[in-house]
Amino acid sequence: FILMLSLTLGTMITITSNHWVTAWAGLEINTLAIIPLISKSHHPRAIEAATKYFLTQATASALMLFSSMTNAWSSGQWDITQLTNPPSCLLLTAAIAIKLGLTPFHFWFPEVLQGSSLTTALLLSTAMKFPPTTILLLTSHSLNPTLLSTMAIMSIALGGWMGLNQTQTRKILAFSSISHLGWMTTIITYNPKLTLLTFYLYSLMTTSIFLSMNSTNTLKLSTLMTSWTKAPMLNTTLMLTLLSLAGLPPLTGFLPKWLIIQELTKQEMTTTATIISMLSLLGLFFYLRLTYCSTITLPPNSSNKMKQWSIKKPVNTLTPTL
Amino acid sequence: MALAATLLHNAYFCGRCCRHKALQPLLGPLLSDSLSKSYSSYRRPGSQPEKKTTWQNVDLSFKKSIEVLKTQLGMLKKETEDHLAGPEGQSLTHYMLEQTRVVWEFRSQEDLNKWVISSDVEIGGKSEVYLKLGRNNQTALLYGTLNTEVPRDGETKYSGYCSMRAKPLVGSFARKKYYDWSNFNSLYLRVRGDGRPWMVNIYTDPYFSHQKDDLYNYFMFTRGGPYWEEIKIPFSKFFLSSRGRVQDDQHPIWLDKISTVGFTIGDKVNGPFQLEIDFIGLLNDRAHTEEFAYETYEKNPPL
Repeated sequence: FILMLSLTLGTMITITSNHWVTAWAGLEINTLAIIPLISKSHHPRAIEAATKYFLTQATASALMLFSSMTNAWSSGQWDITQLTNPPSCLLLTAAIAIKLGLTPFHFWFPEVLQGSSLTTALLLSTAMKFPPTTILLLTSHSLNPTLLSTMAIMSIALGGWMGLNQTQTRKILAFSSISHLGWMTTIITYNPKLTLLTFYLYSLMTTSIFLSMNSTNTLKLSTLMTSWTKAPMLNTTLMLTLLSLAGLPPLTGFLPKWLIIQELTKQEMTTTATIISMLSLLGLFFYLRLTYCSTITLPPNSSNKMKQWSIKKPVNTLTPTL
Repeated sequence: MALAATLLHNAYFCGRCCRHKALQPLLGPLLSDSLSKSYSSYRRPGSQPEKKTTWQNVDLSFKKSIEVLKTQLGMLKKETEDHLAGPEGQSLTHYMLEQTRVVWEFRSQEDLNKWVISSDVEIGGKSEVYLKLGRNNQTALLYGTLNTEVPRDGETKYSGYCSMRAKPLVGSFARKKYYDWSNFNSLYLRVRGDGRPWMVNIYTDPYFSHQKDDLYNYFMFTRGGPYWEEIKIPFSKFFLSSRGRVQDDQHPIWLDKISTVGFTIGDKVNGPFQLEIDFIGLLNDRAHTEEFAYETYEKNPPL
């Protein structure tokens, strides 16, 4: 319980800060609080995930501190919104990219999500992404847009490509998270409000997916296929949520994509817009495959795992229909 | 086991030319010597003195490197095609419906080359182990003599083990590849033993080196008869051990990142042994409901 409290505390400190040191402190509190959560089950893979998480996040925090210090050295002030020194802007972009898991710094993310339990994975992909995104928002006017767009396009490409034949649900969600972060980062220098909107909608959808998977305890694709016998209503809503994550039109997930593409075309970046929509097709493919697995086909066999039969809680069947 | 691993590492460093030597156990220590030197300078009685260091073996010819590059690019292309096809290179429907899978078969010399044999000769013991194709090229025969005589180096207390271990999968550009067996829940072995008990070991290659000795083991008891035995070992029964010592904190094996499987015999009985293996496969036993066989209660209950 204390760990949850520390997580909230850390997030609040970072969000409400306008001095670099408080932002960094909040991020560190978050990192330290979530490490025991990841390694709670004492499985070697969980410990490995916790070690990887700690190493990457510590490097990112150190880089962020370097960037704020060089900025303070050159401009004499520690205000987050007044980032003027170009090398420190670059360092900060790298630091936030590592923290968020943007390409080319994404390698830790699927492994860490795979090693942690489903609820911790949920926290890692929604709550832990929030403070770095706020820092990006605060400094977005001074960051190099080319670098950000390159990283964003690569993230979308990689998230789609690597997610293609994963069989572990947590890794699939990791790659979906990477590609959504890519979408969020494309628009940040032009219209940061859209980034926030994408982030909120993404967190909502991911939360509902993780919680549905948690109640049926699906860690891999084959378990997902057999969940229709346990809670059929949950299965249908899971399908809708997955399609929403993929960004299909009548569902909510399409909204951020549409607005982002609109904004990009307004900024004369139509090639970028076309490239990212083509690349999200890759993602769509594997989301469709997930839904195909879970709902559209009814597999002939049912799971023999005892854990699946314990219904933990009747999950939010309404959030995906937002 | 650790020396077998160094032997594997060396096999990749020295190029593919030395791979065929991996079958003979006496030459094994010769190859592993140069790498074991980097850990300590004490030479175990069973290993030969170093004649040629690894760096002298390096071949810097341009043509050969072009060929190697071509093979690696070919492998990369195949991996990309497999990636597009679906999990593990087969289509999704195949993955969804599969209930059995044969992972290792022994039909030709190449299949035998995928395995490495080792024995206590590495530490100075006297057991012998050989691997060859059985009758009609249908099986693999692992045979030899176990000798429990302890090597006299003042620190070894027990001796007498022989083992056979699969080589880990290697992708393009010498990257590690893993098996994904999450669809299955038992190991299925078709063997014909001689009544001696064997131990099956599964190695899930971890990322960090402090876990590199983690091994999941279970026993395989063979009957002696002339009839083939089909032994099913559910993965829930594998227990965790590290460097041969059973660990306190047990957990079920995670099947999504398996590196190698091995068989060891070390039952403290002097004498010959023989194990004939037809194939090693996986089974998704629908009737098996056990999650984990050891200590499923909560070890630190909240007060």
